Amino acid sequence: MSLGGFLWRRALVALPVLLGILFLTFMLVRIGDQDPVAMLAGPMADAPMLARIRAELMLDQPLLTQFWAYLGRLVQGDLGLSWQGNAPVTQAIADHLPATLELVTLAVGIGALVGVPVGLRAAERPNGWFDQASRFGSLFGFSLPTYWLGLMAIFVFFYLLGWAPAPMGRVSMMVTPPEVLTGSVLLDSLLAGNGEAAWSAAAQLVLPVGCFAIVATAPIIKHTRAIAIEVMGSDYIRYARACGFPRRIIRRIALRAALVPVITFVGSEFTSLLAAASLIEFVFAWGGLGHWGLNAILLGDFAAVQGYVLVLAIASVLVFALVDLVVLLLEPRARA
Amino acid sequence: MTLLAVQDLHVEFATRGLDNRLRVAQALNGVSFTVAAGEVVGLVGETGAGKSLTALAAMGLLRPPARIPHGSIRFEGREIIGLSDRELEKIRGRRMAMIVQSPLTSLDPLKRIGDQLVRMQRVHDTAHGAAARTKAEAMLAAVRIPDPARRMRAWPHELSGGMAQRVLIAMALVNDPALIIADEPTTGLDVTVQAQVLDTLRDIVAARNLGALVITHDLGVVAHYCQRVAVMFAGRIVEDGPVREVFSRPSHPYTRALIDSTPGRIAQLGWTVTGGTPPDLYDLPQGCLYRDRCPRAATACLAAPPRIAVSGTHGAACHFAGEAA
Repeated sequence: MSLGGFLWRRALVALPVLLGILFLTFMLVRIGDQDPVAMLAGPMADAPMLARIRAELMLDQPLLTQFWAYLGRLVQGDLGLSWQGNAPVTQAIADHLPATLELVTLAVGIGALVGVPVGLRAAERPNGWFDQASRFGSLFGFSLPTYWLGLMAIFVFFYLLGWAPAPMGRVSMMVTPPEVLTGSVLLDSLLAGNGEAAWSAAAQLVLPVGCFAIVATAPIIKHTRAIAIEVMGSDYIRYARACGFPRRIIRRIALRAALVPVITFVGSEFTSLLAAASLIEFVFAWGGLGHWGLNAILLGDFAAVQGYVLVLAIASVLVFALVDLVVLLLEPRARA
Repeated sequence: MTLLAVQDLHVEFATRGLDNRLRVAQALNGVSFTVAAGEVVGLVGETGAGKSLTALAAMGLLRPPARIPHGSIRFEGREIIGLSDRELEKIRGRRMAMIVQSPLTSLDPLKRIGDQLVRMQRVHDTAHGAAARTKAEAMLAAVRIPDPARRMRAWPHELSGGMAQRVLIAMALVNDPALIIADEPTTGLDVTVQAQVLDTLRDIVAARNLGALVITHDLGVVAHYCQRVAVMFAGRIVEDGPVREVFSRPSHPYTRALIDSTPGRIAQLGWTVTGGTPPDLYDLPQGCLYRDRCPRAATACLAAPPRIAVSGTHGAACHFAGEAA
């Protein structure tokens, strides 16, 4: 199958999925008992004013008419207006997404770099001391609520020990932030040669990324271990032993076989952490997409909630397409 | 020349139950047989009799919790038991090669057939590069795979079961081993494909003067392809000898029962085998292990039966082996 054909087919599958997610989100926010009109109009508004705002926002129209109008604007790249801050949703997403991507990419990156080798090592001797220790560690990571972990980290490393900077955003307020290029403050500072800002951005990253990496690592350890144990018990590994292959080669065969399921899992981990980022962002006042989306949900900011969910859905589609592309390269059976 | 000599081999599994008490299953209880060059020996018996375990032990592939408390396995005059992994790796796949029973899942799914055959030679340092590729292709031709040049580039998942089994035979033969151990080589194949694969294996073994140990529960396979047979029951060999002799004069009641339970004989005699289960390997009784199922059981059977020679190289582990059936 050609690359073009692959991408084309993925797009064809993704479109109805995105449409369905959009429809559900659109209906769900409106079915809830939040009334954004009252909130927008303020306490002084009278009935005619409320009605006028309602008509302006089309909220007095049938739901399907509203949805149709929304889709019409969506295909023109207009995601509507966010009521919190009165800015276009697209602008708000562009402002907030890089912060979340920075956090999640680093956390999942660390999770994979730590979790995959630990899981593989644990699988070499199931129930050995290393396996027991790593299993305890990953259970620990599984059981801790993210926000609690964040609060404890702030309490210990900022409040008690004073090692970490104040958990207020992505760069210290005393530092001039760099011009926005990539959206990652750390990268932008480095690109601008602004050492002070880079240092501050890195320091701000340590605690949230550390906490989130713990959350990311635990399931990666667990799944890598399970995958590796399954591979080591497979017929082809047993046959490789019967062929007199030395350990080195058997390990290579096993690693190669474990790669595809491990990559698939890390990909799915990335998308789920993208959605789970809100709480840790909230705790660290990170100002990322999750934080923004959480606020939108709490405030009944319909267009923003829709935009937030749409971005998460598109990110999932893209990540899984990327994962499948990698699998396609590594796995002959997928190419058939 | 004797290639493989297994002498009084015992294998046991020590496992801990849920109550944390150590339980020992005595899986092999004194197995002895030999395989000589140019000879195909069949190892038959029901599931759980210890056939595959015997093969694994011979390949040095047993790992904990299996252990060998007693016995000897000599291959090409050298004791296998107690050799280090490194030394065993030089024998396995090189001097002694195995054909396993699930060919489709046993080949490395992420490597082309030709590359797997080349790797087999490279690992054992028998050939490299272009020479190894040439040899690999020749082996595929030797196991009668059509269009071997094209098959070299095939992935395992593109093969049929019979084709994959031929590839495994090619893998086993590519390093010119002295002994082939085939563990249920045709289970899961169509009957016609079974015959083709076994014919191929037999011809190659004969042409190269190899020794072969064929493990099967199919007496038809033994009758067609083996010169000698050893019948296993509950981790012991109860009867062994030339195939013709054993089939025409089965001297152990279990062998007779096996022969009577082949489809042809059932058609002739009706069902004569009255079930029964193998003895509990965790708690082996004294004496003859077959006595609970044996129509001839007598007080003598409370003592372990010695191997009684019936004629020449034919013998059976039964107190009544010498008598007429």
